[in-house]
Amino acid sequence: MKDLKFLVLALCAALALVSPITAAPADITVVSSSLDPQVMMSGDTGTLTIVIQNNGAEPVAIQSARLYGKGVVPTTDPYLSVGEIGGGNTKTFTFTIRADGGEGTFYPTFVLDFREGGSLRHPVAIQVEDTPLSISMVEKPDAFSEGRTAGITVMVGNPRPNAASGVQVVPEGTGFSVTPTTGFIGGLEPDASGSVTFNLAPETETDVTFRVVWRNGINTHTTDLVLPVTFGEDKKRANPVITNVEVTPITGGYRIVGDVMNAGLESARAVMITPGSPAVPIDPFRVYVVGTLDPDDISSFEVTFRADAGVDEVPLFVEYRDDDGNLYTSTTPVGLGGGTVMTPVKEGGSGGFPVLGVVLVILIALGVAGAIYHSWKRT
Amino acid sequence: METGFLQVLLNPARFFEARIRDEPSLKVPALIALICGLIGAVSALIMADVTTAMLPAEMGGLGTLMVVFSTAVAFVGGFLAWIIYGFIFHIISMVFKGQGSLNRTLEVTGYGLIPQVFGGIIGSIFSYYLLSGLTVPAMSSAEEIAAFSEYLVTVLTTDPLAQVAGIVSILFLIWSANIWIFGMKYARNLSTRDATLTVGIPVGIYVIYLIITLIGWL
Repeated sequence: MKDLKFLVLALCAALALVSPITAAPADITVVSSSLDPQVMMSGDTGTLTIVIQNNGAEPVAIQSARLYGKGVVPTTDPYLSVGEIGGGNTKTFTFTIRADGGEGTFYPTFVLDFREGGSLRHPVAIQVEDTPLSISMVEKPDAFSEGRTAGITVMVGNPRPNAASGVQVVPEGTGFSVTPTTGFIGGLEPDASGSVTFNLAPETETDVTFRVVWRNGINTHTTDLVLPVTFGEDKKRANPVITNVEVTPITGGYRIVGDVMNAGLESARAVMITPGSPAVPIDPFRVYVVGTLDPDDISSFEVTFRADAGVDEVPLFVEYRDDDGNLYTSTTPVGLGGGTVMTPVKEGGSGGFPVLGVVLVILIALGVAGAIYHSWKRT
Repeated sequence: METGFLQVLLNPARFFEARIRDEPSLKVPALIALICGLIGAVSALIMADVTTAMLPAEMGGLGTLMVVFSTAVAFVGGFLAWIIYGFIFHIISMVFKGQGSLNRTLEVTGYGLIPQVFGGIIGSIFSYYLLSGLTVPAMSSAEEIAAFSEYLVTVLTTDPLAQVAGIVSILFLIWSANIWIFGMKYARNLSTRDATLTVGIPVGIYVIYLIITLIGWL
């Protein structure tokens, strides 16, 4: 009997030496879980991080950790051999997940299997929402003109519940040039917005696609806004109008004086006035350079030209440029008044010398010479 | 025919030789100067008509005044030319110790203006043809009037018809000078050489001036 008691004590002592004291699985809790991005979109890949803590004083042996569920599925392998977690310690598990189930809130389950049996199940709420960033046209011209640079402002808003990063706007298409080639906005917090302005110079009528590119976590998304570019009359452009025209015959031609007024809403730069065919500009005012005409400004001008007989109307060309240097031309016909024609002097007198006059001069010269000769002959 | 106008033109020596025997009379010479003045007035009228047409309607009164003034000046100009020529010839002839009254000088000078009558008529016809083909535009500003006046001057100096008229007037002036030579010879009792110098110097200078003007050097 005494030997039996000793044997039991020895066994207990051996057990005590061989296996330490183990905490219960109830001491393990999930203290936090985080998802990047915070709100996923369909098809997005995200990173789910789960932190557990051993609230007990003794270590807990964990066999495996895994995540499973529908709609949001893990794309990485489970943790098959985790090991022990000491008392008071924390341990982090990271899973890569993919949203395959469309929009909604999904609850994939985080499962911890303990080595001593039993397990911990913790559902994690994951929100999937497909709302994209919004893009809108804030400012654009009433009409486009070929080669004329137009300012276009695009605003990007974030109606999503989480922040978007790396937001940029890229104009795409052909038949135009644009600066900047990419507009960078950066991060957009929920309900925030950012704007970017482009200087667009169309060469042909075309469609310009403003593509908003942003990232939701590591996932890149795009949203497009198409701007049809059609040429038309710019309602604000400069409009030089010629008035108060007076046509005066001068030696060998005509002089036109008048006023040119900018009836448009934008400045006309490098305004030049010149007579067009069939008129041939002559000195001293072949071209009259007015310079810049601001809206409602008026300036006088003067041009000189010659025109063949029978020409009763000549065009006056007004050339001007806008702020971007694009050239515009307008034409105003000016009547010469018919009866106001002053016959140009024939150059060198060739072809217009009166033969009858020459004959008369010769006859008179002969007559005078004869008379003088006769008078001296008689003395 | 000894005192006829044809005699003056074709045989002035005989005409003045006969005329010198009578007392000087300025009636006929004055009549000739009057005719010259009238012809000049007609020319001035043609020119004034163009000038008046340039003026705006509200300046019509000024235009009428210009017509009257220029016609009067041209009319008086006939007499002035006669007297000026006479005085110049008389003064120059003094250098050659010419003898004879101023009235006699004026008388022969007046007869010498007869070719100027023909020259004036032909010149007026030329002026008419020259200016009648010109349509005068309506003008409202001084700049326009100045521009047209400039054009008018250009026409009158460069047009072939105007140059022909200038040559014609020179020819008739030479004819007058020929008559004046013989007139001064008898009126101031000069030698032919002195009479030629008396008339030739001032007329020659004037002819040279006219030629220079025609060529366009002035």
